[in-house]
Amino acid sequence: MRKPILKNVLKKTVFVLLSVFLACDSFNTDTKAVRLSSWVSSPTETRLLEETLAAFHQQHPQIQFSHEPIPGNYSEKIQLMLGTYTAPDLFYLKGEFAPSYMRYNILMPLNKYADATPDFELDDFYPSLLEAFQKDSVYYGFPKDFNPYILFYNRAMFQEAGLENPPDNWTELSEWSETLTRDTNGDGDPDQFGLVIQASLDMLMPFVFQNDGEFQRSDGELGITDPAFVEALEFYHGLYKRGIATTPNKIGTDWNGDAFGRGKCAMIIAGGWVIPFLEETYPEIDYGVAVLPAGKKRGTVAFTTAYVMPKYSARADEAWQLMSYLTGREGMASWTRLGLALPARRSVAVANGFYDDPVFKYFMESAEFARVFQVNYQERWYDEGQTAMQKVFFLDVPPAEAMAELKQRLEKFKL
Amino acid sequence: MITFKKDSTQQTVAAYTFLAFPLLIFTGFMLFPVLFIFIIGFFDWNLLIPEKPFIGFENYTELSSDDLFYIALKNTSIYAFGVVPIQTLLALFLAFLMNQKIRGRAALRVAFYVPAITSSVVTSIIFLWIYSKPGLLNYLLSLVGIEGTDWITNPNTALYAIMALNIWTTSGYFMVSFLAGLQSIPASLYEAARIDGANTWQQFWKITVPMVRPITFFVVVLSLIGCFQVFDQIYVMSSGGPVNATTTMSYYIYTSAFKYFRLGYAASVSIVLAMIIWAATYIQKRYFPPEAY
Repeated sequence: MRKPILKNVLKKTVFVLLSVFLACDSFNTDTKAVRLSSWVSSPTETRLLEETLAAFHQQHPQIQFSHEPIPGNYSEKIQLMLGTYTAPDLFYLKGEFAPSYMRYNILMPLNKYADATPDFELDDFYPSLLEAFQKDSVYYGFPKDFNPYILFYNRAMFQEAGLENPPDNWTELSEWSETLTRDTNGDGDPDQFGLVIQASLDMLMPFVFQNDGEFQRSDGELGITDPAFVEALEFYHGLYKRGIATTPNKIGTDWNGDAFGRGKCAMIIAGGWVIPFLEETYPEIDYGVAVLPAGKKRGTVAFTTAYVMPKYSARADEAWQLMSYLTGREGMASWTRLGLALPARRSVAVANGFYDDPVFKYFMESAEFARVFQVNYQERWYDEGQTAMQKVFFLDVPPAEAMAELKQRLEKFKL
Repeated sequence: MITFKKDSTQQTVAAYTFLAFPLLIFTGFMLFPVLFIFIIGFFDWNLLIPEKPFIGFENYTELSSDDLFYIALKNTSIYAFGVVPIQTLLALFLAFLMNQKIRGRAALRVAFYVPAITSSVVTSIIFLWIYSKPGLLNYLLSLVGIEGTDWITNPNTALYAIMALNIWTTSGYFMVSFLAGLQSIPASLYEAARIDGANTWQQFWKITVPMVRPITFFVVVLSLIGCFQVFDQIYVMSSGGPVNATTTMSYYIYTSAFKYFRLGYAASVSIVLAMIIWAATYIQKRYFPPEAY
C-alpha cells in the first residue's frame, strides 16, 4: 500500500519541480521582443513613456518590444543583469555612470547605426550632453533628456526685501542671501534663509565651473587643489558658514525643494524635477527661475540620461530602431513635452516652444554652458569626495586642507 | 529487523521527498552563495567585466591597509558593544515588568512589541523626523533648556542616534523571549525566597537573572549577530555618512559591491565580518556557556 503512495508523491514532486523550471525557462527564452528597461520615478513619467512607445508601435508595428520597468535599486539590478547576460536590449544610463560603463566596455558602440540613419542628426544634440556618452569618438549612448541646475527664487520674499530681480553674479548672490535671511518670529534664530545648499559635490561644481576650475583637468590630473577650485569651495561654504545659507536637514526638511516649498528659504539651486513637486505639494507658492549667477563666466551642471544598449544584445537592430525613435526628433518631442526633463536636441526644444516659455527658456539658456559632471577615477572617488565635503561643512575642516587630503586619498583610485 | 530497516529507508526517502523543495531552495539561494563568497574573495570580480582574474590574497592585503575598512570595523564594534548590553538588560527588565500582574499588561506588551514587527524602513524614517533639527527630540530637550543638534548630520552623534533607534526597536522583540523564560521559572523559588525575606530587587538578581541564563545566551548571540550585520537603518537614515561616522561593515560591503563595482573585494570584507561574528559567538559559548550558573 505504501509504495504506490510514495511513488505518487515522488511523481507529483517531480511534476511540480519540472513545471516550475519550465515556467522559469519560458521567461528567459522569450527574446522575440526588444526589452526596454527604465526606472520608475512618477506616474506622469510612466504615462509619457508609454504614450511615446505606443506612438512608435503605430509607426513600426513589425517591431515587437516589451517595456520592463525596474521599480527600485535600478543601478544594482542593471549591473546584475549585465553580469549574467540577461540585460534588457535598451536601458537608461545616467551620465555620471557613463565613464564606468564605457571603461568596462559593456555597451554597444553606436557609430555604425547612427551613420546608417541619415535623419538622426547628431549635431542637433547639445554637444556637452552628447559627449557625456562618447569615448575616443565612439558613441555608446544617446541622451534622451537633461536637467540643468538653475536658480529658483521666491517672488514674495524678493518683493518683501525690495529686490527686483534674481542675483546675477556671486556678489549679488551673497548680498541678497544676506538680505533674505531673516528672523521672522523674533526668537533670535533665522527661520528664513537666503539660500539652501547641500554639502555635496554636485551642487558645488557649478561654482567651480563658473570660476574656471575643474575637478579633473583635461590632462587627467585632479584640479581640486588649484586656487580656482578652492576659491569656489570657499565661497560656497562661506555662504553656509556666514549663516546666510543652510542645508535641508538643518531646517527639518528632506531636500531643498521641500525647504523652498515650505517657505523656509528664498532661493534654491535645483533642476526641473522641482516644478511638478511644487505644483502638486505647494501650488500656492509664487516663484521665478533664472540661470545660475555667474562667476568669472556662466556655468552649471547638467544631469542627463541616455538610452544605451548592451554590447551582446541579440536584437540590436530592432533595439536601434526603438532607440533612434526615442532619442530622435519625434519620440523626444513626445517624451519631453511636459518639461519634466528637457530635450537633449535643440530642434525639439524649439518645436516644443521651450525657448519662448517663461520658465523653460532659462533651462534652455543654461544648456548652452551646462556641463555633465564626470570624473574618470575608480568609482570610490565620489564617496571620498562627498566625505571631504562633509568634513568641510560639518567638521569645519578648512576647504584647502580638505581638498589637499582628498587629493592624496584619491591617488589610490587613479586609473 | 528487516522490516524496520525497510521502513527506515522508506521513511528517509519520504522525508527527503517532502524536504526536497525547501532543501533545493536552501542550497541554491543560501548554501551555494555562502560557499561561493569564499571563492570570489580570491578574485578581482567585477560583474561588468567578463575577465575575472584570480588574485589570491590581494583583496585581503588591500583590506588591511584600507582605512575605511578600519573605520567600518570601529563603527560596527561601537555599535555592537553599545547596543547588545543595553538592549539585553532593557529586554529583561521589560519582561520582568510585563510578568507582574499590572493593569493593562496585554496592551503594554503589544506596545513594546510593535516596534519589532514594524518595517525597519518605516521606523527609520520616523526617527529621521524625530532626530531632525526642529524634531521631537530637540523639542523635548528644549523644554528642559538644552539646545539639541541635528542628530543625523552631526558626525559626533549620528552613530549613537541610530544605536538608540535599534535598542528601541529590538528590545521589545527580545522581551518576548525573556517573557517565555520567566514563565518557566517555578513559582516555588520565589515563594521560598520571600519566606527567607528577599525583596523584589533581590528576587530579580538572585532568581530571575540566573534562571533565564539560557535565554540570555540566546538573546545575546542573536542580537550580537544582528548588530554586526546592521544595514537597513544606515542605508535609509545616513548612507554611511556624515564623514563616514555611520559606515558599518555591512554598509561598506554593499557600497564596495554595488557602487564601486568590486564584488571580490566586498566578498573578502564579508568573510572577515563572518569570522568576527563566528569568533564572538565562539567566545561567548566557550566562556559564558548557557547552562552553568
